[in-house]
Amino acid sequence: MRSDERVFLLGEDIGHYGGAFGVTAGLFEEFGAHRVMDTPIVEEGFVGAAIGAAWQGERPVVELQFADFASCPFDMIVTVAAKTHWRSGIAVPIVIRAPNGGGVRGGPFHASSPEGWFVGVPGLKVVCPGTIEDAYGLLRSAIEDDDPVLFFEHKALYRKLKGSKPAEETRTPLGRARVVRSGSDATVITYGAGVELALGLEHDVEILDLRTLWPFDHEAVLESVGRTSRALVLQEPARSSGVAGHILALLASEGFELLDAPPVVLAPPDTPVPFAPELEDAYLPSARTLNAAIEDLLAY
Amino acid sequence: MPTDTRLELFRLMLLQRTFEERTWALYRQGRISGSMYDGLGQEAVAAAAGLALEDGDVVAPLNRELATHFARGVTVADAFRNFLGRGDGPTFGRDGNMHFGVPARGVFPLVSMLGNLCPVVVGAALAFKRRGEPHVALTFLGEGAFSVGDVHEGLNLAGVWQVPAVFILQSNGYSYSTPSSAQMVNTHLAERIQGGWSIPAVRVDGTDALVAFDAIKAAVERARAGEGPQAVECVTLRGHGHAAHDDASYVPAELRASFAGRDPIERLAAEIGPGAEVVRVAVVEEISAALAEAEASPAPDPAAMERGIYASPL
Repeated sequence: MRSDERVFLLGEDIGHYGGAFGVTAGLFEEFGAHRVMDTPIVEEGFVGAAIGAAWQGERPVVELQFADFASCPFDMIVTVAAKTHWRSGIAVPIVIRAPNGGGVRGGPFHASSPEGWFVGVPGLKVVCPGTIEDAYGLLRSAIEDDDPVLFFEHKALYRKLKGSKPAEETRTPLGRARVVRSGSDATVITYGAGVELALGLEHDVEILDLRTLWPFDHEAVLESVGRTSRALVLQEPARSSGVAGHILALLASEGFELLDAPPVVLAPPDTPVPFAPELEDAYLPSARTLNAAIEDLLAY
Repeated sequence: MPTDTRLELFRLMLLQRTFEERTWALYRQGRISGSMYDGLGQEAVAAAAGLALEDGDVVAPLNRELATHFARGVTVADAFRNFLGRGDGPTFGRDGNMHFGVPARGVFPLVSMLGNLCPVVVGAALAFKRRGEPHVALTFLGEGAFSVGDVHEGLNLAGVWQVPAVFILQSNGYSYSTPSSAQMVNTHLAERIQGGWSIPAVRVDGTDALVAFDAIKAAVERARAGEGPQAVECVTLRGHGHAAHDDASYVPAELRASFAGRDPIERLAAEIGPGAEVVRVAVVEEISAALAEAEASPAPDPAAMERGIYASPL
């Protein structure tokens, strides 16, 4: 915001209050009400307004209080934002920030990981940082990008990850995965909070952080699996949603001969996110279920 | 009103009418694919709104507002290219009929989900307000769109932010086959928009181009002067069905009869007098030349289909 006057924020309770998760804390005080704009409860309305402002040369960043609420402006995102450049040449440089993910007892409406709704939609970019450096570097790249970017921030990472602010010039390129840890026996393909979880594994596995889910980095997936010959996709969206199906389709069509074992998906069951601790803990991938899934994959 | 404004309103209305008569025929001949929507009887609203805007203003027309495109400087040949699905048209053959915009002319392309463009123009108006630019963003809403949640959200934001947005309410009596009385309890849209969203609104006869122009121009200038969002309800009757496949047989004969003698083009022609004939001849020539130009345009190349999905491809 300091480097580009066109950047302004729209969302609910993001001004003086600083946002439901405090991600805009201090910005209202520094930049004022005309750059940190509190809105009524109108997700469809303010995403639409962001599109209109972007059409007229601004760089709006909107915040959804919870990623679950992406259902409200869905039409504006997939109908208007996604299709406008292709059919008219009008660029729509907007960023939609949305806290996703469970582990905070949010239940069916405050703990979802709806990034899969937008994976596969031509015209959209879907980004999910898993580290502090990427949270900064990807957000800077997303704001500087000329396309609509959905930026999902795992709400459990807000408190879990601790570190200092990356250097001002840090940029993480969109569309590029990163090998977080090298290994030889299998590749864990994941993103967001999955990165932290996978780093707890004691096996000799490679961890690939997708960082951008759509369009995702085909080459990085195939390269890594080419080295390890085994693949496990770890994601927090329910197993039939998200990016896992796309990764498996890529491996089946272009990586079949690289594989020594059927690829595995570790993901929650096909239900909404449950509330009770006993249910949510059983629902989410955990160190225990990840460890067991890797053991099975390596034993194949 | 200056004579040249009257003549320009007349020319724009006639361009839309003649263009749509031609595309209707092309559609029946199978030379235009998809569907065919027109604005028969509503041309005055489209022409007046387009002409009320100034350089730097922006607009998001819907499906019965071709004259708005023409008023903003979109060429007739480009409009034909879109209806014909040509590769060098405004949507490169990727979208059809009146689903097009011309960025250089400040025209946003129509999306079929009516109501979506209401918040979008509010955002464009917000950009003008943020930068202190004296521009206005305008769009149209029919009775059908008025039932859509996006419209409530957009009107609410326009009011809360006090942005220079102008909403033209197209009261043509029907949303596809559904009469307005089945769409809402109070069909007086100006009353609702003023009472419900505190946006100043007037209701005028949308078949009288001069009355519509004066009302819309005044609304646009109030918005430009910093008086916040404005609305004008223009009452018309949809001349045809929703689209070419709809014969509108559900419209009662009495309602049709009540609009007899209210063709906006003939009304203005009567006021203009003999000068109107000169415009008629010129418009027919312009339409024919533009169609010939568009028909000579290349078809889209399937190999280029995936280009432009992203402004910054990864």
